[in-house]
Amino acid sequence: MPFNSLQYFLFLPSVLLLFHFTRDRWRWVVLLLGSLGFYAALGDPYLLAALATVTMTTYVLGIRIGGTRSPRGKTALLWIGIAINLLVLISMKILHSMTVTGNPSPSGIGRLDLFPATGSILAIGVSYYTIQAISYLVDIYLETGEAESHPGRFALYLSVFPKILQGPIERGRDLIPQLRSPYVFDYAGARVGMLRIAGGLFKKMVIADRLAQYVNPVYDNVHAYSGVVFIVATYLYALQIYYDFSGYTDIALGSARLFGIRLTENFRNPYTATSIADFWRRWHISFSRWILDYIFRPLQMKFRHGGTGGTAVALILTFLASGFWHGFGWGFVVWGLLHGLFLACSVYYKPHQRSIYQKLAVTAGWKSAIWQRFITFHLVCLAWIFFRANSITDAGYILTHMFTGTGKIARLLTSHERLEIWICVLSLGIMAFLYHLGNRRDKWDYLFSKPAAVRWCFYYATALYILMFGKYFSPQTFIYGKF
Amino acid sequence: MMKEMISERLKKVILRELDLDDFDIVESTSADMVPGWDSLNHARVIAAVEDEFGIRFRTLELIALRNVGELQELIDKQNRDRP
Repeated sequence: MPFNSLQYFLFLPSVLLLFHFTRDRWRWVVLLLGSLGFYAALGDPYLLAALATVTMTTYVLGIRIGGTRSPRGKTALLWIGIAINLLVLISMKILHSMTVTGNPSPSGIGRLDLFPATGSILAIGVSYYTIQAISYLVDIYLETGEAESHPGRFALYLSVFPKILQGPIERGRDLIPQLRSPYVFDYAGARVGMLRIAGGLFKKMVIADRLAQYVNPVYDNVHAYSGVVFIVATYLYALQIYYDFSGYTDIALGSARLFGIRLTENFRNPYTATSIADFWRRWHISFSRWILDYIFRPLQMKFRHGGTGGTAVALILTFLASGFWHGFGWGFVVWGLLHGLFLACSVYYKPHQRSIYQKLAVTAGWKSAIWQRFITFHLVCLAWIFFRANSITDAGYILTHMFTGTGKIARLLTSHERLEIWICVLSLGIMAFLYHLGNRRDKWDYLFSKPAAVRWCFYYATALYILMFGKYFSPQTFIYGKF
Repeated sequence: MMKEMISERLKKVILRELDLDDFDIVESTSADMVPGWDSLNHARVIAAVEDEFGIRFRTLELIALRNVGELQELIDKQNRDRP
């Protein structure tokens, strides 16, 4: 069930109450059964089969790798584990793309009716827990993590429901110790958790789903538009995808916090990044750390005698892999390739940056920071065009027509009630204020230092705002749930 | 005595590659403690160490490295295993 559904808000307190009142020794059973039920509610038996395969093989291989002394034996077991997880990942993605209506498979084979009830095989969550399983095995191999011997706890590490659908991608050494620790109800933590859930719903239902109603008409019918409207739609998409994914992450982290689990932060104001490298330290952080540690670093070491060129190639290959991870479509491949190329260029540029700035008499300060953020944001938006466009030809059309006049922008912005734009502006303004507040102090401490009357006014105002302005009748699926 | 000379040699290679005049590099020093020793320069430092000592490390050994002390151990191991 999606996080922005009524069922989830019946499911969450039910599981939490049962969890709270169960003896600590058996709480893992409640959470595991709840998580499996959550995943099973998607109604696709292939998903459960994929999860079972990954869980059982990774559990066994983790123990075997940890217990094997022979380096060759350890290496062989590691490669078997990586191969099985990649096989599950690739198979589910191919099956999904071959069964989705109207989406021709990469090989050109027509749609397969393998699961006619829903019309397509889902691959939700598979991309996340398979690479999480790979990181678990690699960490055991490198002796930076240890194998978990309790099968239920291990299963929970992969499938705990707040993170199973879209991450964060958790390292074994971060999450498993928390699952081993006794649960102690923490009022302050629960309060923050509930506020984060509210914040996530605000981002997703009020902002992201509202922006989608302006983005989708343009990107789903590009030939009906031309000119600046493409630029506006791309900016709006940049905001939509951020609020959609960070909204999900807030709900995930907030839900986990209710159970005493602290998941990894996935975002850190990404559009304030001053370079593409900085962007990837702020966007989908758990994923960028994964590709840095498990793809880029090994490749960079492999190519170390190639100098700067070796590092550049490693970056391009890493982000190509990142593109494929998102999906087997040319748009994702080009998106990944662009980010790889941006980073590869920066490897050559960075050593000369200081001397270039000196020659141009550019001094470090707020003006150069704004300029760097401006350039970085637009490079990211350029790549988002390929990410969002329905085809490469659509992306090409957008790029070749975005400066040909104003092109129906007024029609787009007035396609819905004017109130919708004001709600967007107000909601984005609230987010900007919270960002600014968060820069000066811990915003939770600030809120909790206020009198109870003020706090409760804030809580009720937030709930009312979401209830009044959330998109209920045209909810969008979470964007990163498709990967 | 030999290990101490090698350590001084290792230190000089690292400082040269990172364009540093001096930095207190000890066994527990990790890359994030040294100015300029980021992920982009890391490969260059390792390649320079290999060229300096005439050795080649396995990629998996390098990925597991946590500090300069472990790098020194890898160098010593290669020197011991030399025919």
